[in-house]
Amino acid sequence: MLEARGLRKSFAALEVTRGVSLALPEGARHAVVGPNGSGKTTLFNLLTGELRPDEGRVLLDGRDVTALPPDARARAGLTRSFQKNNLFMGLTVRENLALALAIGERAGTVFWRRFERMPGLLARAEALGERVRLHEVLDFPVRSLPYGTQRQLEVGLALAIEPKVLLLDEPTAGMSAEETQAMTALIAGLPREIAVLVIEHDMEVVFEIAERVTVLDYGSILAEGTPQEVRATDAVRRRYLGERAG
Amino acid sequence: MDIADFATQTLNGLQYAMLLFLLAVGLSVVFGLMNFVNLAHGTLYMVGAFVGFSVATRTGSYWAALAAGPLAAALLGAAFYFLLLKRMQAAGPMKQVLVTFGLIFVGIDAVRWIWGEDSQSILAPSALGESVSFLGLVYPAYRLFIIALGLAVALLLHLGLERTRLGAVVRAGVDDPVTAASLGINVDLAFFAVFCLGCALAGLGGVVAAPVLQVYPGMDVAILIPTLIVVVVGGPGRLSGAFWGALLIGMADTFGKVMIPDFSGFMIYAVMALVLLLRPSGLLAARHGS
Amino acid sequence: MTGGEDFRRHCVAAVLLAAALMGLALLGYSGRDRLAEIAILVIFAMSLDLLVGFTGLVSLGHALFFGLGAYALAGLTTMAKIPPSLAMPLAILAAAIAAFLVGILAIRVRGVFFIMITLAFGQMGWAYFQRSRTFGGIGGISGVGQPDLGAIGLSLANPADMALIAIIAAALVYLGMARVTASPFGRMLVAVHQNESRARALGLPVQRYKLAAFTLAGAIAGLAGVLAAERTNFVSPDLLVWTVSGEVLIMVIVGGLGTIVGPALGAAVWVLLRDYLSAVTPYWMLAMGLFFVAVVLFADEGLYGLAARISRRSTRDA
Repeated sequence: MLEARGLRKSFAALEVTRGVSLALPEGARHAVVGPNGSGKTTLFNLLTGELRPDEGRVLLDGRDVTALPPDARARAGLTRSFQKNNLFMGLTVRENLALALAIGERAGTVFWRRFERMPGLLARAEALGERVRLHEVLDFPVRSLPYGTQRQLEVGLALAIEPKVLLLDEPTAGMSAEETQAMTALIAGLPREIAVLVIEHDMEVVFEIAERVTVLDYGSILAEGTPQEVRATDAVRRRYLGERAG
Repeated sequence: MDIADFATQTLNGLQYAMLLFLLAVGLSVVFGLMNFVNLAHGTLYMVGAFVGFSVATRTGSYWAALAAGPLAAALLGAAFYFLLLKRMQAAGPMKQVLVTFGLIFVGIDAVRWIWGEDSQSILAPSALGESVSFLGLVYPAYRLFIIALGLAVALLLHLGLERTRLGAVVRAGVDDPVTAASLGINVDLAFFAVFCLGCALAGLGGVVAAPVLQVYPGMDVAILIPTLIVVVVGGPGRLSGAFWGALLIGMADTFGKVMIPDFSGFMIYAVMALVLLLRPSGLLAARHGS
Repeated sequence: MTGGEDFRRHCVAAVLLAAALMGLALLGYSGRDRLAEIAILVIFAMSLDLLVGFTGLVSLGHALFFGLGAYALAGLTTMAKIPPSLAMPLAILAAAIAAFLVGILAIRVRGVFFIMITLAFGQMGWAYFQRSRTFGGIGGISGVGQPDLGAIGLSLANPADMALIAIIAAALVYLGMARVTASPFGRMLVAVHQNESRARALGLPVQRYKLAAFTLAGAIAGLAGVLAAERTNFVSPDLLVWTVSGEVLIMVIVGGLGTIVGPALGAAVWVLLRDYLSAVTPYWMLAMGLFFVAVVLFADEGLYGLAARISRRSTRDA
């Protein structure tokens, strides 16, 4: 579904991504882990099109999208959630979801019918709200919501455009234990047609949702495999798991 | 155009460029540090010129005016910073820009109220009142003085930026405010000092320009637009950007007027559009960041 | 946006319209001419609201399209001798095309830079018309052709008829803009304003929407310019100098961003206040400047937002 081949990216003299390749088949559950500064976010930005690689290619559904900007990649079926909440802050949850749905349906060419009267739009927003467990706060302004609830909306917006590939950037960052559990369940329950790539610090979350794990270190791949295989790799234990445990 | 004409026009361009530099450098560095543009920067230039005019009239001394103009502009800038800008930091740059925009209107009328409608002038000091001949050229000494002053200010600022603690904070502050805070100097105070210095330089520009251009209510807006263009072209936050930007715009304007008079005044806008088209964040902008 | 909020806006718009029509009936020659001027500025301010209030693009060069609409009409009717009824839509089209072309460049930059590049483009137009021999230089062009409205018993040379046409045009622009901004297209502009990077990540071609908003706003400003040229029969570079852009931006902010009716209110208040102050003191700009600063500092939702807040509170208390 999503494939990266030999991605390289440098900032000034510093090479942040050094020949990373990834392949996510349909319905994949893939996690990228690595210490701070290992190039996870840069890799994400290369995949979503926020950055252009110096070398290498990104393929989406077999099509080369390396030269496409983020919005074109999103229309081709790839979207992301953000590490820091990145929402339409001045609007309500319902309006956020309806807006995201309308963007996904390319409804913006309609300029004479009222937004609220778009057939079925508000009902779909409500259904989506239910899916991401926001049905109780649909009419609250996003700004007034607690952080963890905003994180849920972060995922809700990404789901609105019915992506084929969903990239989640630290979905549980800054969450309480309880909120983390709810978010993990939400991710685990995503429809199987969506390929999911997640950056995550919390190894428990990773082992719960991921079927494959890639360990990044200084911009290159240190190990890749099932969670069990990765956990068993000596280099990973030393470099990463050990570092966090100790 | 023969060689002598060309040399004369080059000096004219250089003189205008140095004037633009005096205004642009404060605006640009403040933009880099605080991410807002003081649209009332021209007002400080105008106030500097008028205060200089009053002082020169009373004392008969150009040099007293040259000291008083920047001082008045710096004081006004300081008051402005404490009364408005500092309180508005949380509101974000856009509101700050709008407030400074409103102050342009206030400034023009306040100056009309105090000094009247008429155009005034400051006489160049007698030592610089003549023209000098060199290399077969005859050129007003006072204009050479402007060029020398501009270059001297540029050099001093460059040294100050490279060699002093304050300079280090400013350099770090433009790149990364967090690092700046960790350098152990009061960053707010450093920003304030830079803001006042920028205002003083605008006031200096006003006095320096007075013997060449006229002193009148509305001179602020006349200089503001080319100054903004210098900031945009040079890329905000860089001393070198303000310098080279001023040089480019000063020359483009001067030679534009001579060579294609039909489009004079048009030239600098065209240069700016071209630069933004090729390099949206300015000619010499830092390459990192968004 | 809720239905109640829509209703409140339409009410304010209806009150403004009623006041204008009453003024039309009661005022004398110069009062009616002033009314026409206000109605034209209302259109101009509403067009800028589409950019500033809805899309979040703060332009300080919007007078360029106002002026281009006016100059295009003047040029087409006096030089090309095109009938005014055909020249009017052509002039609006010219303003739209200019806005499209300028927009392509301007939307490449953001925030404070956008303010500066639009300012520069506006001044570029001003500098051009000041020097241009074709368009009369500083003296401008007089004798703009007027369409023959004898068939419906009107004449634009008569301030009462001119004001009536301008008021009707303003009402129609208001209704059209209310409709367009409440549509999915309008909501996409709000999405761009609220969070550009998120809108992009969801697949919204952000630049295309910005360009569409810029072009539409330019076209409506062009309409205002066409009416302005018809009102005075005269065009000059003063139409597009940067203070015109600045004043219309002030009207939008004073009235209330992103509400359409707010900028209409702002335009009316600004012109009336300016008239009043300039009659009382030669230093009216000082008072106007302080008034604007106070609005930005203490009532950034503008006069309309302030009124709406007070009315909400009083209905809650009652």
